[in-house]
Amino acid sequence: MYKADVRGPLILGNKDYRQITSDIIAPIDNKTPGWWKVALAISISLASLGFFALYFTVRYGIGTWAVNNSVAWGWEIINFVWWIGIGHAGTAFSIFLLILRQKWRTSINRAAEAMTVFAVMCAAIFPAIHMGRVWLAFYIFPYPNTRGPLWVNFNSPLFWDFIAISAYLLISASFWYFGMVPDFASIRDRAKTKIKKAIYGALAFGWTGSTKEWLRYEGLSYVLGGIAAVLVVSVHSIVSTDFATSVIPGWHTTLFPPYFVVGAIFSGFAMVMTLMIIIRKYYHLEEYVTDSHLNAIAKILVFISLIMGTAYTTEVFMAWYSGNPYEMFTFFHNRITGEYTFMFWAMVICNAIIPQVMWSKKVRSNITALFIISLIINVGMWYERFNIVVTSLANDYLPSSWTTYSPTWVEISIFLGTIGIFSTGVLFFFRFIPMIAISEVKSVLKPTEITEKH
Amino acid sequence: MNTTHIIGIFDSKTDLLTGIEDAKSKNFVIEEIYTPYPVMEAIYALDRKSRFTTAAFVYGFLAVIGVLSFLYWTSVIDWPINYGGKPTNAFPSFIIITLVLTILTVTLGSLFTFSVRAQIYPGKKYVLPDERSTDDKFVILFDKKTAGAGFEAISTAMKASGASEVYEKEL
Repeated sequence: MYKADVRGPLILGNKDYRQITSDIIAPIDNKTPGWWKVALAISISLASLGFFALYFTVRYGIGTWAVNNSVAWGWEIINFVWWIGIGHAGTAFSIFLLILRQKWRTSINRAAEAMTVFAVMCAAIFPAIHMGRVWLAFYIFPYPNTRGPLWVNFNSPLFWDFIAISAYLLISASFWYFGMVPDFASIRDRAKTKIKKAIYGALAFGWTGSTKEWLRYEGLSYVLGGIAAVLVVSVHSIVSTDFATSVIPGWHTTLFPPYFVVGAIFSGFAMVMTLMIIIRKYYHLEEYVTDSHLNAIAKILVFISLIMGTAYTTEVFMAWYSGNPYEMFTFFHNRITGEYTFMFWAMVICNAIIPQVMWSKKVRSNITALFIISLIINVGMWYERFNIVVTSLANDYLPSSWTTYSPTWVEISIFLGTIGIFSTGVLFFFRFIPMIAISEVKSVLKPTEITEKH
Repeated sequence: MNTTHIIGIFDSKTDLLTGIEDAKSKNFVIEEIYTPYPVMEAIYALDRKSRFTTAAFVYGFLAVIGVLSFLYWTSVIDWPINYGGKPTNAFPSFIIITLVLTILTVTLGSLFTFSVRAQIYPGKKYVLPDERSTDDKFVILFDKKTAGAGFEAISTAMKASGASEVYEKEL
């Protein structure tokens, strides 16, 4: 039968199974590199700054932020949506590609899932502190209580958001963890020191790799994969309904759910690209994360970039076509022109225009260019959220309450703090967890082994 | 109580599958197969079946009924609120929260089922016939008492079908 070699080999270098385990476990076995310690020190410093700012917010209240009557949602919601968006790619990668039987996912899914877990943890901080009195956050749980037997509002997207994000964190973390169990067993069985054997043995939950275990393992993967695919779409749709169910110009549009979901996957894939390039470079895993893998991610990014461009154009078109003066004002005098014009054009250029250079194969095979573009996309996606949140609120229906919003040091520090928390998590992941799914990579090593024999 | 087992070690999936076929054709009873990654052919060869998806569907079905009943109870029976005369049973707006809570329930149920059925949980005492099977070897395990043949017969057959090693071990 004719077989087209569409994607090229998934693993280069003529490896055997033992070599794969050794290569992937090497960063755990080797001495801690110097750059890792420096990066960890910077990350922990940033995280500490963030924790101090969080303490400051809790101690003195939300008055320490620049949010006001008009711009009631500021950097905190921008950052929440940004992080949640980044957190989408792990599941998108892992699960959509798992369901679509895309074998090239195997080298990348572990890092993407790790990224999801840390990003969602960062995201969860923002709505919690935005409540103002974070110590009363448990009010949001629906349980019989002494505040009258009053229930939470089950019809509010804000409550849906809380449940959806909790479910998303749980499902992403468990999908990630159970994916690692066979790999922890591999490390356990190769460990030379007793401490290492004990630690990875405890993490491996007694995994042996018997058919009984693999059968249920595959069942769990596909069940979690199938339902998480629905969850990916619904989580960000719900985040968008936080905006879309309001009557604020620029927000109340039916375009929002797909626009948010696609945007989230866009920023997440960009972050996956950033991380994979770092992993490749610093841990010398070029034979597992090949140029072909990055090429595939770049192709997806260029396609999603087109969708983003279409979404931006559709928004502006609908504002004009509706004839609604408030919509027209928001889009034409408050985004395309006006005091926030930089944010609008930064969004368009970073997300819809610059990624188009990846149509060129030359660019797709230039790792430095891909790295820079992936960072540009993440900056662009942050500007997109700034556009949505701030420009619609700053100049509202009452000109006397119009105001310019710029963040205080507390808000900036909390954001920097989440970057610190994220990078600390990612660095620990690099150091102590196999960055590539060992057992899954082994399963795609010799796809034609059986057919060769017969 | 420990029993004696016969362990066949294979270097590749192809050899493993040949070994399984030969063992089955000679009516040796395989107790278990250990592989470094999921090998569906080995799972089918041992006729292992799982009702995992059925369990997940049942959890989902029960969750839908449970969540909708709970929402009906809170908004119609326990604490009805009059929003400008709108019906208290606001069913269409219950759909999204029902979907999300159903996913949450299926996740928790599936994780629990996996842990119980595959016997994978923290602190489990495990028996691994050969430690190399989580790295690069494929292992067929026979219980000497129930294998249907002695060590010599099994060893010869397994080596003929590509086993790199066959040995006995108390497990």
